[in-house]
Amino acid sequence: MNRNYTILLGLVILAALFPVVSSSYITVGLTVLMFTGWASSWNILGGWAGQLSLGHATFVGLGAYFVAIGASQFELAPWWSILIGMAVAGIMALLWGKLTFGLHGPYFTLSTIAIAEMVRLVAINEGWLTGGATGVFIDYLPEPFGIDLFDKTVQYYLMLAYAAITLLITIFISTRKFGYQLKAVRDNEEAAMAAGINPTAIKLKAFVLSAMLTALGGGIYGIFLSFIEPHIIFNLLLSVQIALTVIIGGRGTIWGPAVGAAVLIISGEVFRTVFEQANMLVYGILILVVILAMPKGIVGEYAHRLIRRKYANRA
Amino acid sequence: MQTVLKADRIKVQFGGLIAVNDVSVSLKQGEVLGLIGPNGAGKSTLFNAITGFAPVTSGQVHFFDQNVTALPAYVRTRLGMGRTFQTERPYEDLTVLENVLVAAFLKNPKRKEAEEVAMSALQKVGLADRAHQLSSDLNLARLRRLELAKALALEPKVLFLDEIMAGLNPPALKQMIEFVRELTASGISVVMVEHIMQAIIELSDHVVVLASGNKIAEGTAHDVINNEQVIEAYLGTD
Amino acid sequence: MLELISFFQNLSNGILIGAVYALIGVGLTLVFGVMRTINFAHGDFVVLGMYFAVLLNSLLGWDPYLTLILAVPLGFIVGAGIQKYLLSRVIDEKHESMLLATLGISLVIANLLLLTFGGEPQSVHVSYSTSTLQVSDVRISVVLLLAGLATVVVITLLYLLLNKTEIGRAIRATAENRLGAELVGVNTKRIQAIVFGLGMCLAVTAGVSLIPLLFASPVTTGALFTLKAFVVTVLGGLGNIGAAIMGGLVLGVVEVLGASYLDSAYRDAYGLLVFLLVLLLKPEGLFGKTVKRV
Repeated sequence: MNRNYTILLGLVILAALFPVVSSSYITVGLTVLMFTGWASSWNILGGWAGQLSLGHATFVGLGAYFVAIGASQFELAPWWSILIGMAVAGIMALLWGKLTFGLHGPYFTLSTIAIAEMVRLVAINEGWLTGGATGVFIDYLPEPFGIDLFDKTVQYYLMLAYAAITLLITIFISTRKFGYQLKAVRDNEEAAMAAGINPTAIKLKAFVLSAMLTALGGGIYGIFLSFIEPHIIFNLLLSVQIALTVIIGGRGTIWGPAVGAAVLIISGEVFRTVFEQANMLVYGILILVVILAMPKGIVGEYAHRLIRRKYANRA
Repeated sequence: MQTVLKADRIKVQFGGLIAVNDVSVSLKQGEVLGLIGPNGAGKSTLFNAITGFAPVTSGQVHFFDQNVTALPAYVRTRLGMGRTFQTERPYEDLTVLENVLVAAFLKNPKRKEAEEVAMSALQKVGLADRAHQLSSDLNLARLRRLELAKALALEPKVLFLDEIMAGLNPPALKQMIEFVRELTASGISVVMVEHIMQAIIELSDHVVVLASGNKIAEGTAHDVINNEQVIEAYLGTD
Repeated sequence: MLELISFFQNLSNGILIGAVYALIGVGLTLVFGVMRTINFAHGDFVVLGMYFAVLLNSLLGWDPYLTLILAVPLGFIVGAGIQKYLLSRVIDEKHESMLLATLGISLVIANLLLLTFGGEPQSVHVSYSTSTLQVSDVRISVVLLLAGLATVVVITLLYLLLNKTEIGRAIRATAENRLGAELVGVNTKRIQAIVFGLGMCLAVTAGVSLIPLLFASPVTTGALFTLKAFVVTVLGGLGNIGAAIMGGLVLGVVEVLGASYLDSAYRDAYGLLVFLLVLLLKPEGLFGKTVKRV
């Protein structure tokens, strides 16, 4: 597993050099990093604990809104707002999970959609809380060490840090007890119970961690957008995008989310230059390809074959 | 000798069906208890009720003098009950070693120690050479041994084996009986549900016979096989 | 007295809208019953119907209900085709795979519509768009009434199909027990394709009925209807057609009454709230029997 840390270091260095090499594609790079982070966070719940959530945009929104409201109404620096946002996201996930983890597979997924939708409606209508449908505008941000947070390059590095943190946490968990408990619960809940694991407790932990990390990314996203609107942020399509990024890249793998993010965002951009809109078409086609031909996702299939081949050579 | 397990007047009822009717069994330290009976006798249900995988309608289960009747299965595991499953339940996406690792983590939170315990369990069942193979690639006999290894890695106080001998060909059966014998020699207490009489005869100290949810006989394997009621239960009356 | 009139007004609106929701829900639940799968693309099928009507209306000036002549058979072929060539490959895997496959189909349809028709919301204007019928003091929109009527006709036809024909019997057998049906000689693969095609027909009909009333937007409308369909079928109990009808009516009424007497901005939320409550408290649905809890 030390190998993964080395790979991460290499990738981080490469990514850090990217803006120097190509300044015109900074936003694309930023988006890839952002989705890598969100996807890795989702992966903890959806890939490792096996709970398919289509409501994660809620946590993105929480992060973004706390930063926006913190900045515009309380003149709170974004790092404090993000921390508060993460805490709220965690608590929300705890309650949400407690409520819905008794639901079987697809019904859990349906419940995530319903809850996310309700949050969106609240955000649109409770203007006193969220600025309503017109949204919130961040017009001022502090300048720590003289760094301009509105600068795209700065934001890029923030996202890089975010992606690196989520990947770091993922790698860390993967070799430890928690990671194995997650995988056990996902693969065979009864066997996991017979191994002394409390499935609900594990799923809740996964949900809380996943939510908090997603909100962290959401906060940085808020800084990037500087104008937060409920339909952009609390969007079902965003939840779907995040989930599909992981599933196409490879659920339950370490690098799947990153690979998924890179493939999808970049092909989306290429598509957009050709077709101008409908870049989600790529997601639709790829998920069908994955389901029909590569159920473990790009990285998952690759790893699976690798293990098989390694064993065959050794036997 | 200490009584490590006591199931008192267990009744398990599903709707109108009484699967286990007022059955009591007990297990002493170091003993091997065999649970036998024809199909549908309720032995698996009783087994599940004791280990926490089936609800008890009435009656109590005491494990090392602690009343565990209301405790969920995973707590019972933590208290020292280690069970196998009749239909193998490997974690398919994990390797053989990782499967056992999950269980080993229970008593060994750190990766290094857990791995040592897991490897040792694999060695006991003869799967150490396949540690890095995907569990989904194993054949039946090996999957069985994997189940056993998983239960062992829990370092249980009492081992619960659910028809672990079923479907094995003669050499594999002999091997499995040997494995279990070695385990019992090391002092672990065992409850085994079985159909394969050979295993019961060779391994158990004490046998309980169930039929249609009721206990119809108990004693040594020899006593029980020659018991008329038992023979009738298995073969039916003419 | 005015209160009562307005109540009946709302009630009748709720029932009529509910009827269309029922139509959408029945399609979803029919598919669930036979394929045990939640079709994420169902709402997009409805939108397909809407855009079909828009297309024929702008090209040929046809009234939406006229387009049904083409929409229904085309819908059947497309639906059966999707099932036969795509979904049938996934059917024996985990439930999630099917869910994700239908999600993929939903995205493909929605985005192809977006590419073809652009993002501007579209509707169909008919001469009777704003006419109302007056029953004592209550006004009923003609369009809504037609939609309700269409629903009644279609559901009756469906009932006859399921209960009075050979194929209907095969469908019910497959829904109850796929293996059992196969053992008695039912070609369940063909049945599944047929049922999916039927589901598409129902969705398309609902879409056509709704287009004079609503605006269709390629990406968002689909998800909206899919969600409503879920609410309806869960309320009623998945797989249970009669219950889906009741569920649709309940949703329609809850929405309209909630919007009128509570906060209209949260119109969509009332249905969602009830949906969540049902999922959590009575997962078999208000009328159903299948249990979905772990």
